[in-house]
Amino acid sequence: MIVRPRKEDHLVIGKYTGKVIVGVGLLMCIPLVTSIAFAEWDTAVDFIIAISACMVFGFGTQALCRTHKDLSWSHGLVVASGSWFFATALGALPHFLSGHAGSYLDTLFDVMSGYTTTGLYLLQDLDHVANGLNMWRHLLTYAGGQGIVVIALTFLFKGTAGAYKVYVGEGKDERLLPNVIQTARAIWLVSLTWLGLGTLFLGVRGMMLGQGPVRAFLQGLWVFMGAWSTGGFAPQSYNTFWFHDIGYEVICVVIFIAGSFNFAMHWAMWTGKREEIRKNVETISFFITLTVTTLVVTFFLAQANIYPDAMSLFRKVFYQLASAHTTTGFSTIYSRSFVTQWGPVGLIVTTIAMAIGASACSTGGGIKGIRMGVISKALVQDVRRMISPESSVIMEKYHHIKDTWLSDGLVRGAMTVTIAYLTLYGIGAIIGAMYGYPLEQAAFEMVSACSNTGLSCGITQPFMPDLLKVVYTLGMWLGRLEFMSVFALIGYGVAVVRGK
Amino acid sequence: MRNRLVPGMLLVTMLFALAAAPAMAADAPIPPNNPTSTQLVNTQNVPGDITKGLFWNGKTVTFHGEAIGEVMVRGDYAWIHLNDDAYMEKNVEEGATLAGYNSGMAIWVPAELTKQIDTYGDYKHEGTIVEITGVFNAACKEHGGDMDIHATSLRIIRPGHLVVDPIAPWKVWLALALIALAFGLWRLDRMTRNRISPHRGV
Repeated sequence: MIVRPRKEDHLVIGKYTGKVIVGVGLLMCIPLVTSIAFAEWDTAVDFIIAISACMVFGFGTQALCRTHKDLSWSHGLVVASGSWFFATALGALPHFLSGHAGSYLDTLFDVMSGYTTTGLYLLQDLDHVANGLNMWRHLLTYAGGQGIVVIALTFLFKGTAGAYKVYVGEGKDERLLPNVIQTARAIWLVSLTWLGLGTLFLGVRGMMLGQGPVRAFLQGLWVFMGAWSTGGFAPQSYNTFWFHDIGYEVICVVIFIAGSFNFAMHWAMWTGKREEIRKNVETISFFITLTVTTLVVTFFLAQANIYPDAMSLFRKVFYQLASAHTTTGFSTIYSRSFVTQWGPVGLIVTTIAMAIGASACSTGGGIKGIRMGVISKALVQDVRRMISPESSVIMEKYHHIKDTWLSDGLVRGAMTVTIAYLTLYGIGAIIGAMYGYPLEQAAFEMVSACSNTGLSCGITQPFMPDLLKVVYTLGMWLGRLEFMSVFALIGYGVAVVRGK
Repeated sequence: MRNRLVPGMLLVTMLFALAAAPAMAADAPIPPNNPTSTQLVNTQNVPGDITKGLFWNGKTVTFHGEAIGEVMVRGDYAWIHLNDDAYMEKNVEEGATLAGYNSGMAIWVPAELTKQIDTYGDYKHEGTIVEITGVFNAACKEHGGDMDIHATSLRIIRPGHLVVDPIAPWKVWLALALIALAFGLWRLDRMTRNRISPHRGV
């Protein structure tokens, strides 16, 4: 029997969703200040409207949903996915008011892409958008990478046992510190330190490349946000191809690989446990799959004689593959070059790298390295069992912060989420193919959306079918929240309608 | 008197037409590139076969577009980016119809030539429209495999200009109404919180 949620359930969900949306409104003050600083008055008014709309929603729901009840697990999941839904709808206002979007659906696509750190976009004439709007695009992806609920936890929740349930609902389950609010603040401490250093390096490099100081540091900040969050947004339509510099690319690679690592590993490194990077199952899994995919594409493109020398070949292949594998989405080639220069093998291997994705509890998406590690270990365990005497007990363990013995439950959990991702990838690829796109291109684009990567082979366009925009938007949302929170929201909706 | 008036009016009309002619010519639509940036990226020698390379690779092309962003000078040469998209002559802030993404080409050009470019396109500027002639590289050996054009000549087709994005009055009214509503709800939230909840700041 489905139990219909009671009034108290609605109130607690409304109250905490309102808090998160107030956080989104406060976040918009940064692009507002940027617009004012650059005298972009029309854009500034757009942000005032959007901030006010967030405050109306946030204060309105908090005033209406007055309750002392704390969050349960199901509430936490619904608040997380519901907050993302409303944060997307309201966060899209500046995009829509700018006049650069073809429809509100396009703006929802862009904002969901930002929050989920995907990096696909439908905004048109990007090369003429205001600095304020560019700041918002990149801030969305930077904040989304840490988790918008993490922002609210950090600044707006003052110690509640239920906070952890919202935090988990956003696809994160690592407790770096005993208290979840402290954990959220620790995530911000790590991220802001990287922000300062990354922007400095990129800004200085930009000036060395011939950029003016303001533009170099502003673009350095935005490129950092796109890299660290593994978002892939860039201030120009040319993405990081704009800079034509191996030094800039190296800095970007360092930042987006670091951004793709688990926050728990960052915290271990931060607190002096340097050996964690060598021992962690996720980093081992990442470096193995990155090496294999890079070697395969390098071999095939060398055969096809696409690039003029070995250095160019390696530079292009490694950058795109590292970007794909960390689910960043930065590129130094044109979108259509994946089709016209890389061909089917390049497309398929890049798709595999995106599908595997980054680390759990990071800013990245995809199936995640830890699941690949667990499934690989389980496979090894099964093979060892087959070749060992029946009476022997074969155990496998993996290292992630601490050593953990492999259990059937753990493997089943990893397999369930992996199958869910593969199903989602498959459904989207078939829908794309039904619209007439070649299957490998449709698969590339859908995997890119659902793994929150953001590379495109040219299917994502402002004039692509609306249904495909909806499919990719839902794919980004499901992929980022790792299904459970969205399923909980759907279940909540069903319970409201059909519960007793 | 009448005999003088008619030739006089004709003369004035002719002078006006002559004065307006350059401006009218400047506003005449610029024909599309042949090849466009999209064609440069997409056209393969043998469709579907990457091993046969791109059709325009190594060929000399004449290409024009809006200079966008900035010039990045690297020694005697510089990078500029020319967009030959739907926003080349008029951008969204000036009322251009939305027509898809930006598209363009990276150009490696002697730095001296870029001094002719007065404006680079951004939110507040429509960039100078520039025509270059040079060799298209599908994967440039000199630049780490980047797709680019090495230009040997550059000429200005149309100078850039400032772009004004005026504030729409309805936006101001909407903003004021929402601010008032948000403030009212904030006050209501504070008042009801004080009245109902003993746990302030939860």
